[in-house]
Amino acid sequence: MSATTDTTISLPLVPSDEELAIRTAVRDIVEGFGADYARRCYEAGEPPSAMWKALAEQGFVGINVPEEWGGGGLGMWGLQLVGEELAAAGGATLMLVVSSAMSGSILPRHGTDAQKERWLRGVAAGTTKLAFAITEPDAGTNSHNLRTELRRDGDRYLLRGQKTYISGVEDAEGILVVSRLRHDDGTLGKPTLAIIDVDGPGFSRDEIPMPYLGPDKQWTLYFDDVVVEADRLLGGEEAGLGVLFDALNPERIIAAALANGMARRAIDQATKYANEREVWGQPIGAHQSVAHPLAEAKVEMEMTRLMTQKAAVLFDAGSPLAGEASNMAKYAAAKAAVHAVDAGIQAHGGNGFALEYGMSDMWWPARLMRTAPVSEQMVLNHVAQHSLGLPKSY
Amino acid sequence: MKIAVLVKEVPDAAVEKRIDASGRLDRSGEKNLNPYDTHAIEAAVQLKEGGTIPVEEIVAITAGPAGAERALHKAVSLGADRSVLLSDDAVAGSDVIATGYALAKLLERESPDLVLLGQQSDDGENYTIGAVVGEFLGYPSLTQVVKLDIAGETITAERQAEYGYDTVEIDLPAVISVGDAINEPRYPSLKAIMGAKKKPLEKITIADAGIEADKVGAAGSKIECGNFTEPPKKSGGTIIEDEDTSATVEQIVAWLDERKLI
Repeated sequence: MSATTDTTISLPLVPSDEELAIRTAVRDIVEGFGADYARRCYEAGEPPSAMWKALAEQGFVGINVPEEWGGGGLGMWGLQLVGEELAAAGGATLMLVVSSAMSGSILPRHGTDAQKERWLRGVAAGTTKLAFAITEPDAGTNSHNLRTELRRDGDRYLLRGQKTYISGVEDAEGILVVSRLRHDDGTLGKPTLAIIDVDGPGFSRDEIPMPYLGPDKQWTLYFDDVVVEADRLLGGEEAGLGVLFDALNPERIIAAALANGMARRAIDQATKYANEREVWGQPIGAHQSVAHPLAEAKVEMEMTRLMTQKAAVLFDAGSPLAGEASNMAKYAAAKAAVHAVDAGIQAHGGNGFALEYGMSDMWWPARLMRTAPVSEQMVLNHVAQHSLGLPKSY
Repeated sequence: MKIAVLVKEVPDAAVEKRIDASGRLDRSGEKNLNPYDTHAIEAAVQLKEGGTIPVEEIVAITAGPAGAERALHKAVSLGADRSVLLSDDAVAGSDVIATGYALAKLLERESPDLVLLGQQSDDGENYTIGAVVGEFLGYPSLTQVVKLDIAGETITAERQAEYGYDTVEIDLPAVISVGDAINEPRYPSLKAIMGAKKKPLEKITIADAGIEADKVGAAGSKIECGNFTEPPKKSGGTIIEDEDTSATVEQIVAWLDERKLI
């Protein structure tokens, strides 16, 4: 089943009372754990479970899931509000990307009722967390080169291969793995999606050491003939790219929302600092060399927030324009976040690096968004070819 | 049992409070539900959820401008079942007594068994409205209550006093203003936020409530405000340049000693 385009859905430019109340509630919940909560989780090597639970209990991590499956029914438009506020309050977690945005979007559109009952209800309630695995060591951004394969074995399947840079596996109950069916003639089919249990027989994983990217960890995964029952396939044996992008577009939208929130946090904090800090007899914000980079970051962030909201509304409407908008939002939001965090660190002088001020903790998470979930270069390739009609470059 | 919670819309805590040209608080900026009232709503919800006494209904009540609807939506999203807004220009400028009278008239229409409110408003900070309302209604009232138990018709309340806690027993119906230590208010759920506008909100005028016009507003208020002055600027304090640390320590110790602080 594919979503149909609903032309009655529009982008609200003036926030409603409900939107403001959702934003405030999410911010209040996250701020209640303290500004350094995510770093404390990272240092303890623990997932941000208490914050996730508090958000989940009030219905915010499943805000996008249809109401009939226990969600809030507000689609990706609702989830980007949550993502932005989460990041703006310093609580950005990639679990919101992989579980809420990706599984919470693909399951309603392509899952069977039994799969929705088994997985989607939990994703909506935040009690089930699903990671997502597509990237491979030898395929990188070339998803046509994926080599993780699924072989038929009677009425079930065996999964074999390797994935890398997979987020949040340590806190997930299952993983939505992208593989390809090995045909009888030895060729590999279109992308297949299957939900596997974490830490079942034949599955192993290694943590990839990373700088502070937030509370979540990154993993390399190994599948050594992991048994996959037929009812674990999402969208059939060869779901294909069309199905896959009902997870990848939400991933880009919510990555953009997190980047927007990080930019907001950096700008807000740096503005406060520049208003208070005096070294030449007046606040340093009076100097245009401090003020202008922050003002520029603000302009960029407001534009990318608008594009992110547009992408979310288009995705929710089932519009074919959602792909282009999601890519553009992610591209622009990542750049804007890096500019904002850079300007924020610079405005803080040496304090920009001290952990106490939290500015440097925004650097790698913001920088990550230029590379993941899809690199800037791949977005530009896509825009050049599909939006502009230039020759295919890859 | 029916619980009424008195709530108020106040300027957001982040807004610097100013007096406007008419001598009243400038309410043009961002506004919010008085944060102290959220403790009263939470106390009502906990009584309802606690199950020791059956609570049929929690009604949030306010007197304020039309925009105060938003504060009532928030009150409902935090657990009230419905709300009542007295919105009438005649009430603007009421002092504590006039406001207490108007609220008491609103409460008479509802005849609740228990009236709860926050310890103070974040703008007026009078701490007294509960007592005034209690007086008009002829109900007993308590302030700074931080623990509340109800058995039958009797309330056992613990109230924060200057030197410890008082335990007081009073009979229902009563007016209780709760201290902010009574509970940790919950956050509104998404479902409650989205459903807030679907809960009944009754807008009434002073005529609907049987409020006499000359007892409210500026005309009905005995308090007159004027001759406002800016609060005195804080002095800059004493800065001790730390050239020799032991000398600095001596200076600090002497400063504290002089004020009998050590």
